[in-house]
Amino acid sequence: MEREYIEVKEICVVYQVEHHFIQQLRDSGLLELVLIEQKHYLPYQFIPRFEKLKRLHYELEINIEGLEAIENLLERVEKLQEQNRQLKNKLSIYE
Amino acid sequence: MDFIDYYQLLGIDKSASQAEIKKAYRKMARKHHPDLHPNDADAQKRFQQLNEANEVLSDPKKRKKYDAHGKNWEQAEQYEQARQQQSRSQQSSRAGGFNGGEQYSGNFEDDTFSDFFEEMFGGRARSQGAHRSPQFKGQDVQARLQLNLTDVYKSQKQVVNVNGKKIRFSIPAGVENEQTIKIKGYGGDGVEGGPKGDLYITFHIHNNSAFKREKANLYKTIEVDLYTALLGGEITIDTMDGKVKLTLKPETQSGAQVKLKGKGFSKYKKEKEFGDLYITYQVKIPTHLTEKEKDLFKELQKLRS
Repeated sequence: MEREYIEVKEICVVYQVEHHFIQQLRDSGLLELVLIEQKHYLPYQFIPRFEKLKRLHYELEINIEGLEAIENLLERVEKLQEQNRQLKNKLSIYE
Repeated sequence: MDFIDYYQLLGIDKSASQAEIKKAYRKMARKHHPDLHPNDADAQKRFQQLNEANEVLSDPKKRKKYDAHGKNWEQAEQYEQARQQQSRSQQSSRAGGFNGGEQYSGNFEDDTFSDFFEEMFGGRARSQGAHRSPQFKGQDVQARLQLNLTDVYKSQKQVVNVNGKKIRFSIPAGVENEQTIKIKGYGGDGVEGGPKGDLYITFHIHNNSAFKREKANLYKTIEVDLYTALLGGEITIDTMDGKVKLTLKPETQSGAQVKLKGKGFSKYKKEKEFGDLYITYQVKIPTHLTEKEKDLFKELQKLRS
């Protein structure tokens, strides 16, 4: 069976990040962790999201509050891009 | 190739200190980081140029060369090449050019940096192991793929050639025009050991069918002859997955619409689920009537008045 989760401890080793950083992401609601037998795990589906947050934090030195603001704005940008694409496709019906 | 003013790119003065360069680079990187500009090729290109500017200006040797040649770097390059040729003929040994004597990383795509950079500092001129620059994710690569609408009715495997690498991937059925999918880790190599970038493929779907498409729903206008519309009857129409027989009610009006459930287009990432097909009837009025036909229509007209 395919693994669905990666343990937080493992993430810290693989990505060379502090445990505190992941805790902060969880506390701010930016990342959802799962508790299994007293150990915290990250579902694999959230790895791309974690990697993005990690890059923004370590490469651009953006703090947790900044990450929250960026995530909200990016969500809006992506929604608007999607809306724009759908409207363009809808318009093409009448062309 | 055009001269690139790295100082202007970073918004700094030529006399800027290393600390000022670092600060300016950080500021600009925050503005143009690819993670902050999803699906924006321009921002990614600009970020690539910023990396390039930082690579040159944060290295005193490269910066000195860049400052010395400036806009006349091309002539300087020619001079340098001529000098190297002379040196080669004299020593019968390899000339290093701008790269001479140094160890260079081979992990970078040739097109990661601009032609200007490649020309001035060599294709593999980036230093390794110095760790002056922070780690950055590799450049994301944008690609466009043209497909016919009928190609994306069913999921299919496709092999694309991106920067000389063959990448095999699945195109899910129901993908939309101008939709972009991300293939993780197939972009440019990371900077200073950073992770690889991603490959973004945008689909341009050419509608080669007789249907209009809106998401998973399809629309088609069908011409129906006057008599079938008036008296009712059966017609056969083409759908995406074959022919379908339709029964027209008597007195069907021009512009009337029927919905064929599940006969539309594949729903994106929903295996074996389909949208609906909307058929609009357009009643075709007969032309070139014979005298007899005209008389009969007049008879009908009298009956109605």
